Amino acid sequence: MTGDKAFRTEFSVKGREFSRAGDVSCRIKNLLKDIGIDAGTVRRLAIAAFEAEMNVIMYARQAVISLAVTPEKVSIIVDDEGPGIPDINLAMKEGFSTATREMRELGFGAGMGLPNIRKNSDVFHLTSEPGQGTRLEITVCLDGSRP
Amino acid sequence: MTQAKQHAISINLNKCTGCVHCLTACPTQAIRIRDGKARVIDRQCIDCGECIRHCPRDAIESHTTSFSDLQRFAYKVAIPATALYGQFGNSVLPYEILYALRKIGFDHVYDLSAICELYIAAVEEYLTEHAQPRPVIASTCPVVVRLIQRRFPALSELIVPFEPPREIGAKILRSTLPAALKLKPEDIGIIHITPCPAKLVSINHPATMKKSFLDGAVSIRDIYPPILDILRKKDDTAIMRHLFPDSSMSGLGIGWSISGGETRSLPKFRTVAVSGVQDTIHVLDQVESGLLRDVDYLECMVCPDGCVGGPLSIENRFLAKSRILHLAKKAGDKSVIDRSEIRTMYRENFLSFQHPLEPQPSAPLDADPAEAIRKAGLRDEILQRLPGKDCGFCGAPYCATLADDIVRGLADIRDCPMTWKETP
Ligand code: SF4
Ligand code: SF4
Repeated sequence: MTGDKAFRTEFSVKGREFSRAGDVSCRIKNLLKDIGIDAGTVRRLAIAAFEAEMNVIMYARQAVISLAVTPEKVSIIVDDEGPGIPDINLAMKEGFSTATREMRELGFGAGMGLPNIRKNSDVFHLTSEPGQGTRLEITVCLDGSRP
Repeated sequence: MTQAKQHAISINLNKCTGCVHCLTACPTQAIRIRDGKARVIDRQCIDCGECIRHCPRDAIESHTTSFSDLQRFAYKVAIPATALYGQFGNSVLPYEILYALRKIGFDHVYDLSAICELYIAAVEEYLTEHAQPRPVIASTCPVVVRLIQRRFPALSELIVPFEPPREIGAKILRSTLPAALKLKPEDIGIIHITPCPAKLVSINHPATMKKSFLDGAVSIRDIYPPILDILRKKDDTAIMRHLFPDSSMSGLGIGWSISGGETRSLPKFRTVAVSGVQDTIHVLDQVESGLLRDVDYLECMVCPDGCVGGPLSIENRFLAKSRILHLAKKAGDKSVIDRSEIRTMYRENFLSFQHPLEPQPSAPLDADPAEAIRKAGLRDEILQRLPGKDCGFCGAPYCATLADDIVRGLADIRDCPMTWKETP
């Protein structure tokens, strides 16, 4: 919980940079492996981080993704500057997507993003200020401990 | 003098000049220069052979079986990788190559194209029976299997649980030859002819069975010159055709040595074929991030363009590929296997792994999670102090690798000359 016991790092992601899609989540994933987090948990976090990174690339101007790891839990916070989400409940429905046709043709934005992130995290917290940006906080507990 | 044989490759320290070509070529950062010579870190090497391709001094040697090793067998069988068919001139046909192997001294030569077709037919059964998980990943390239075990351990369960064609072929021979020949099983040597050094590792240290059905792997490099000598003589055409009739070769299996060879036989499924080590790592990263779940079958071959680009092949891979494509086109979609037989083999688990593939995740920074977390932070701090030039002078391929080695206690920050001006 306390700052000195945690490993922290930050990554920045730019909107529309489709060519770098997956870079940050891949780095997060490798960090988690180096720390010795078990393969199954790494995979859940990799999926969540990838979806979160894609959301930034598709919809936001830019974002900072922060990672914090303690022996008890891994948390990822994505703070973006962008249009925000007007109706969070609607956005959380599986299959709901505002992806443009171009994005869909590229295989992005099947409307799985947010529900998939929630499915792969233990704590999921989403707030948004329309016109300003979105803040997504997710936590995955280690050692099977639940909050 | 060479290093010990845990792996498919070793560095000939007499030839190695400690240049940095192999350092950055290695996709898993398994090489360091120590005391002026390249060293391989065993637990990180996946036996891909990239270093062999990049060494300008031929100092990286592969361990394959030599001809003299074969003399201990009373009866010798060769099972060549189908990549061998692309290694010789345009006019040279598979049966001539198989016959040349006979002339060299193999008592029996077994074509793998039919077994390749058998394997993929079984994969089709498997995909039909198991709707999940996806994508299922091919088990044919032993480097991919090793890469997944070590670098993508969570994907181990996605590998199709069938032994690759070379092992299935050897298993069939093992179960029939001793009785037919009235020989003791240990007197029969079944040898793969291989375009890559990884096969010998998969034979000596099989990942999914107790003991391999193969007894060794001779490299295409070594066997090429004697085959060529025989081909030049161009005799016995009638006997050759009789021994290895075209009709026994599978049109679907003959193209397996090029990327897409497997997926071609699965028209009913969504498939993706990837080749080359970097692209393979990239696509596996994507699978780990949850992509490609709508893909049924993923074929990965770490060599560029597939086994035709194997590090121990001789022919330029573009020419080899063109020849294989030509052979495959000529053979068309000719099938030589009996579907109902495959189903029986599948039901009886004749093709199956003996035990599941075990993930072998690489070692974390520390066994104690709190300590590993501390070291991850320390590693970032050290990386900040390094110049970021990735010059290789310290013996590690990248500054980040040196930082990692330092926190693991394998290197010292003073290995980097650019930190020398710092106070110690
Ligand atoms: S065989 Fe591949 S993994 Fe092993 S040292 Fe050579 S390049 Fe690296
Ligand atoms: S692609 Fe083929 S030749 Fe290359 S390592 Fe894999 S099995 Fe061997």
